[in-house]
Amino acid sequence: MITREEIIQKTNEALSAEFELSAEKLVPTANFQTDLGLDSLDAVDMVVVLEQKFGFTLRQGYDIRSMVTLNDLYNFIEKLARENNK
Amino acid sequence: MDSAQNKIVITGMGAVSPYGNGADTFYNGLSEEKPCIGRVKELDALPMIKTKLAAKVPALDYSFIPRRDRRSMSRMGLYAYTAAQEALHQAGYEKAPENLGFFMGSTLNSISVWMEITKYCHDKHLELVKTSDFLQIMNHSPLAVVAQALKINGACIGASEACATGLLNMGLAYLALKSGLVKQALCGGTEEYHPLFSACFDIMQATSHNFNDSPDKACRPFDKDRTGLIVAEGCGLMFMETEQSARERGATILAEVLGFYTNTETENMAYPSAPTLQACMEGALKNAGVKADEVDLLCAHATGTISGDMAESQAALAVFGPRIKVNSLKGHIGHTMGASGSLESIACVEMMRRGEILPTKNLQGVDARCGAVSYVTAMEKRPLRTILKNSFAIGGNNCSLLLRRPV
Repeated sequence: MITREEIIQKTNEALSAEFELSAEKLVPTANFQTDLGLDSLDAVDMVVVLEQKFGFTLRQGYDIRSMVTLNDLYNFIEKLARENNK
Repeated sequence: MDSAQNKIVITGMGAVSPYGNGADTFYNGLSEEKPCIGRVKELDALPMIKTKLAAKVPALDYSFIPRRDRRSMSRMGLYAYTAAQEALHQAGYEKAPENLGFFMGSTLNSISVWMEITKYCHDKHLELVKTSDFLQIMNHSPLAVVAQALKINGACIGASEACATGLLNMGLAYLALKSGLVKQALCGGTEEYHPLFSACFDIMQATSHNFNDSPDKACRPFDKDRTGLIVAEGCGLMFMETEQSARERGATILAEVLGFYTNTETENMAYPSAPTLQACMEGALKNAGVKADEVDLLCAHATGTISGDMAESQAALAVFGPRIKVNSLKGHIGHTMGASGSLESIACVEMMRRGEILPTKNLQGVDARCGAVSYVTAMEKRPLRTILKNSFAIGGNNCSLLLRRPV
């Protein structure tokens, strides 16, 4: 079973590569819009890169509006991983 | 002043070419005849394709473009952003002025990005397509993304007519300025190379293939040993405005656009006829109110194809007589397709400013079937007042535009 630390690491790697974000900015409290400068188009592309990174579907149940901080995303992926026994 | 009577002028230019970034880099590359045509490894892997060469833009760093703008740009968008910024700066602007028009297109959208998406289709993994992929393959993608990035909020129109695209969009900007739709406009064409372009022209028997081991000699407009064109890429953009606008803000006028004309060949999609090209050039002269003997130079479309060069030179002879100076810049950089008309117009403006005519590179022996005009085969220093620029497209779309050095 994937650990939360591994989820954080993989998520940060994917976001850093896709959105050219430095590691220092990728803290759990970071707000996608105001701290990371990501918009609604980025949110859609984020699903694509995270699905490739984790190897399971994220888009079912993925509600962009409910994701405010990076921690919200970690929690969402962790919940899915548990449901999928990953 | 009534807008129809207002003169239209050029006050800024921007270029990305096989020589690199910048209009000066482009012109210096031409005048120094720097080699820029090279071998394409993808073509080497295709034995049935005879041509093996292209002129590509060198790898450049585009990280200066903000990521949120860059994410929706294929290479032709990156070239267009870079050229647009340069043209704006030369025109005296740090950012786009209010209600700036923008007229720009390309032959196709990004084949490279399309190929990625079709791979996802083939593999049944369409969920891998990103929104930023789609935003790169719309027909007007470069126009839209550069307008967004530079906050160009006037009329944005992206006409596409293959190899005539750059000059067509300059002509449309000229007409829009004349009509009063806008007072200022960026205009031209952009293009990114893909081996598919070379392959398609090769299948149509229109490529250079007899100088694959001597790339610098491969493109030979009007020369008896030519077999066709070399595909290239880049972007050329002009900042055009009414003379009144330029005078009011004290901008330096680089050139005047005297007139424009466009017509269509209906006999054949791929082979232009001399009478139709003659009518196009005469249309531009009439539109500008300029007599044929006032034109100092024809900067030809002349891509190095057998039939195209013959038809254009015969048409030039019919319009101007044997005294007309004729050059083609395709021998230097190949055919930048949708960018060629506007990119080569930048060279026309510079030739007038510097008082010199660039030669047709690799024109060593004129094909006797070409019209008996005055071909320029070595740099000529002489004052130039008026240049006619031609661009012709597969599909039969022809454009001619007249430029004049400001007094």
